[in-house]
Amino acid sequence: MEFIYLTEEIKQQIDRYVEKFPLKDQAIIQSLHLIYSKYRDIEDVHMKELSEYLQVPLNVIEGIVSFYDMFRVKRGARHHIRVCKNLPCHIMGCKNLLKMFEKLTGEKANQYSKNGRFYIETVECIGSCSIAPAFMIDDDLYEGLNITEEKLNEILSKYT
Amino acid sequence: MRYYPNIPDLNVNSSINLLLRRAKENRTVEIEEYITTGGYSALKKALTKFTPEDIVVLVEESTLRGRGGAGFPTGRKWRFALSNPPPRYLICNADESEPGTFKDRIIIERDPHLLIEGMAIAGYALGAELGFIYIRGEYPAGAKILEDAIEDARKKGYLGKNILGTDFSFDILVYRGAGAYICGEETALIESLEGKRGHPRLRPPYPANYGLFGKPTVVNNVETLSNIPIIVTYESYYMNIGSSGYYGPKLFPISGKVNKPGVYEATMDITLRDLIDMAGGIRDGKKFKAVFAGALGVYSERDLDTPMDYSPKGFGGTGTTIVLAEDDCIIDSLIVIAEFFEHESCGKCTPCRVGTYEQLNILRKFQNGTATEEDIKLLEHLGRNIPVGSICGLGYSASNAIMDALKKFRDEFYEHINGNCPAGVCFKND
Repeated sequence: MEFIYLTEEIKQQIDRYVEKFPLKDQAIIQSLHLIYSKYRDIEDVHMKELSEYLQVPLNVIEGIVSFYDMFRVKRGARHHIRVCKNLPCHIMGCKNLLKMFEKLTGEKANQYSKNGRFYIETVECIGSCSIAPAFMIDDDLYEGLNITEEKLNEILSKYT
Repeated sequence: MRYYPNIPDLNVNSSINLLLRRAKENRTVEIEEYITTGGYSALKKALTKFTPEDIVVLVEESTLRGRGGAGFPTGRKWRFALSNPPPRYLICNADESEPGTFKDRIIIERDPHLLIEGMAIAGYALGAELGFIYIRGEYPAGAKILEDAIEDARKKGYLGKNILGTDFSFDILVYRGAGAYICGEETALIESLEGKRGHPRLRPPYPANYGLFGKPTVVNNVETLSNIPIIVTYESYYMNIGSSGYYGPKLFPISGKVNKPGVYEATMDITLRDLIDMAGGIRDGKKFKAVFAGALGVYSERDLDTPMDYSPKGFGGTGTTIVLAEDDCIIDSLIVIAEFFEHESCGKCTPCRVGTYEQLNILRKFQNGTATEEDIKLLEHLGRNIPVGSICGLGYSASNAIMDALKKFRDEFYEHINGNCPAGVCFKND
């Protein structure tokens, strides 16, 4: 079978995982992370290719994808904004931050992206409570206290 | 130069300089600096001076308890695993996702070699040849930092085959989770580490008997393992750190309405009042209202002089301290916590899956003004029954916050029934 979504680079990485871990199944979640960081969504086609490549039943992979939050949600965007909504961020005003994001990006929180650039997700504690309200864009973490629309726009402009 | 994702300064402070000795600045300590500041000397000492049994005895005598929340004596946990035949596995639980907890990431991101050294010594004591670090998916930078640090340690011969010329071999693999709070529970973590859905296992058998791949396994928190090099270095002097029975340094992640939120290192005899003072007092000169602490116990002004140790009256747990001021509403906060548990329940046990959902719905009634006294009784009923009907820590603690609040802030519930929010947060139309 020819792999369209699993590029050479990803396949090499997966091979390394399979070699490194004692059990082949352990490579599944790590491989999904590779796919997720490249395509930003785990679609059926990705799961089929991974199942074929790892020789693991598709239902096993689908079971994992539907369990873990990072893989389950379909977002349809190149960049993911994760706004923490747990207690420390809640009392420090994450709702205002969320409103600012919605205004600046034109997207609604937790809804499939309209223009494919940003997806705004409200998540549980991201472990950055001293800089509450905290948010992540892709892998980067930012501080949200006293942030202005201008500053936020500047940060957002880095992600095209 | 290595590239890592952006991490802002999370504000770290320490008066005793043990766990956070090298971690005060917002940067990663590389292996050269770690070694020149006395790093890996504990591993050397352990491998040359002590037998594995000596180290287990040292840890037992140190009264070190698990820093991940449950506070189980680490030495005893190791002893259970040691009573079973090898191969044994060591797992470092870096899946901290409890609300308000962000202490482990400081060690991982700023001083990763402390954790690696601790794991190597623990591996030596346990006769394990392979260790895993299960790091949560939301710490992408931490996973990269750890992988690089492990690679550096291998190159210098602190990990891998025949460490420091002895016949002890040990290696560590980093495994990323993918955003499930439940995987911080040790049996769910093991399931997830085996590449499955993270459902907790029924216990017994405990991981010390039947863990990863069915082999004896020890699961320890990042902070617990980072204490091991300190114990080996200080030996019996470790017992001079802190109060009787609860020795050793402890990290306290403080967040919420304080002037300088951050991770503070202290001994466990510190009281809640001192801890809040250390964090600069309440923000904007407001009055203190409550603290949501480890496993989300709720504490009021009356508990300010309680020490933060593992005694029945103490705070114990992860050391998490979320401070609420007078303008925060207890009901509003409880709803956020209830949403968290409703979202993170894995769905294996019905009382937890349905109970957390019902709990949230009842609490919402208080906020929109449709609650009656009957609802308080229902909450108490759920609070008694969710823990006994669940098999893991998530279910056990799902109603902790509500039950504690019903004891300490009961009047707020009645105020809300009468359509009045003392903090002025609820009943606003916006």
